[in-house]
Amino acid sequence: MATYSDVRVQAAQVIARLNTHQETLAQTLPQALDKVAERDRALLQELCFGTLRWYPRLKQVYLQLIETPLKAKEADIEALIFLGLYQLIYTRIPDHAALSATVDATKALKKPWASKLINAVLRRFQRESEALLATADTSELGRTAHPKWLLKAINQHWPNYRDQIIEANNAHPPFTLRVNTEVNTREQYRSALNQAGIEHEPCTFSTEGITLNSATSVDNLPGFREGHCSIQDEAAQLAAHLLQPQAGDRILDACCAPGGKTGHILEIQPDIHQLVALDISEKRLQQVTENLERLRYGQHESAGAKEKTETNRIQLAIGDASQPDTWTDLEHQNLNLQQTHVFDRILIDAPCSATGVIRRHPDIKQLRIVNDIKTLADLQLSILNGLWPLLKPGGILVYATCSIMPTENSDNIARFLAMHTDATDVALAGPWGIAQPHGRQLLPHVSGHDGFYYCVLMKQAG
Amino acid sequence: MAQLEILEFPDPRLRTVATPVEEVDDSVRQLIDDMFETMYSCPGIGLAASQVNVHKQIVVIDVSEDQSEPLVFINPEITVLDEELFSYDEGCLSIPGFYESVERPKHIIVKALDRHGEEFEMRPEGLLAVCIQHEMDHLAGKLFVDYVSPVKRQRIRKKLEKQQRIRA
Repeated sequence: MATYSDVRVQAAQVIARLNTHQETLAQTLPQALDKVAERDRALLQELCFGTLRWYPRLKQVYLQLIETPLKAKEADIEALIFLGLYQLIYTRIPDHAALSATVDATKALKKPWASKLINAVLRRFQRESEALLATADTSELGRTAHPKWLLKAINQHWPNYRDQIIEANNAHPPFTLRVNTEVNTREQYRSALNQAGIEHEPCTFSTEGITLNSATSVDNLPGFREGHCSIQDEAAQLAAHLLQPQAGDRILDACCAPGGKTGHILEIQPDIHQLVALDISEKRLQQVTENLERLRYGQHESAGAKEKTETNRIQLAIGDASQPDTWTDLEHQNLNLQQTHVFDRILIDAPCSATGVIRRHPDIKQLRIVNDIKTLADLQLSILNGLWPLLKPGGILVYATCSIMPTENSDNIARFLAMHTDATDVALAGPWGIAQPHGRQLLPHVSGHDGFYYCVLMKQAG
Repeated sequence: MAQLEILEFPDPRLRTVATPVEEVDDSVRQLIDDMFETMYSCPGIGLAASQVNVHKQIVVIDVSEDQSEPLVFINPEITVLDEELFSYDEGCLSIPGFYESVERPKHIIVKALDRHGEEFEMRPEGLLAVCIQHEMDHLAGKLFVDYVSPVKRQRIRKKLEKQQRIRA
């Protein structure tokens, strides 16, 4: 038999594992959520996200309270102190409840000795909070709750947008939907939302986008299970349109998981010839299958004529995007993509630093280091180089990242263009984003779209 | 000592009815040690041999906060003392991530053999009484999801099958 685990114990372990083993929230949070009671799941999520969102500021407070640093094996106790501080500063949990529950967690962590320490530290914070916070905020790290490497990069690349970016990174992310226009129009879906009493606004730049005034469970969204809409940020909704898929096209969606853009391509151009949806992770391709099934583009169990065509039309593929000759189907049979000029359209939603979506992945503040950016840029360039031969002359390649680092974006495209004389950078009119030497950059906005980068490349004919 | 693999719902082997232990020997004690290690690592508060695919009437339990009260029940039998019921949100290491409220008799007496083969009797209360009955259900091939509505059981089955597919 098993019983619920304590929500603060689980939160402390998630944060400790991030600090000691560099494990991301995406890796550890799902298992932790399984161990707590259903009624505690929202709180666990809030404690982990909130503590990591404000970590650099909490650390400036922590350093004033703890004179001798704790040993590495006490990372869970250190995490409990951060959790305690987060609750006292940022949440509506009554102070006495936050304090006693956080102190009690030491028992289940089998470190009862630490209860005195945590109690003393948090009580001292309560007594001296004003002075401690004021001192924390004398440093830029404390004021902005951003790590040094990130502040330096933002100051260097986006001095005029610095405050906007920092504010957006520390905000709660908007909850944005993409209406499946094959099933219903945006106006129809807005009526459905009105009937369900869900307050919302249409997006500015995406004609299919709707942003809800507050986050909700997908179970409350009309027709979600039947594929009437998807959850996708407004910036990501621009990708499929930039690709301009035409009837009869063969399309490659590289690095496709979890399949948000894959579904969108099929929604706006149902008459394509074939769509190859590639990802390096077989496990994550499972999510693509589920997403497409929900949107009714999946491989249905009944072998009717229409479903049969769907199966041939949508090819899921596993492999490293930079090495097309190694790609296989789900049965691990090689797809034999050695030949060139296969696709009319290629979408690369490249693996990146995710510095445009920090508010959705606040653990990035703790995880990324400067060197990652250069490594990622090299990986992105190798993917561009690997896929370019597959594009037909006259074909279009859309390069996208959710990064705000020019090294991964415009500068990387410059490197690519210098190597390929048959590639032209197509000018993008916007109105979204900021024009770059190559492509356009969207920066994250509070209650607006995420940070994203797009560049459209065309292959010259002949 | 070794950690054992725990069968997960809807594995049909969890439906096997366990047989009594004939002799409490070193091999049984070895299994008990491994079961404790497996249970503590999860962490859980109770484990039946059926869950590690050994279909013998053996149960290990520790409901303490600091893993300080290990209890062994071999060939356990219970007597229900009155009609009063007690409800608890139960979870199960074979049904990870799901917790459902189950009602069980509140007052019981348990008779069993300990790890040395000695017979003992106890009158457990609260969580321990719940846990013993939960584990004895395993020995009879029963699971706590058998007490919830068919719709809920189906939902749990679907979700676990999906997780198992992803892991495979």
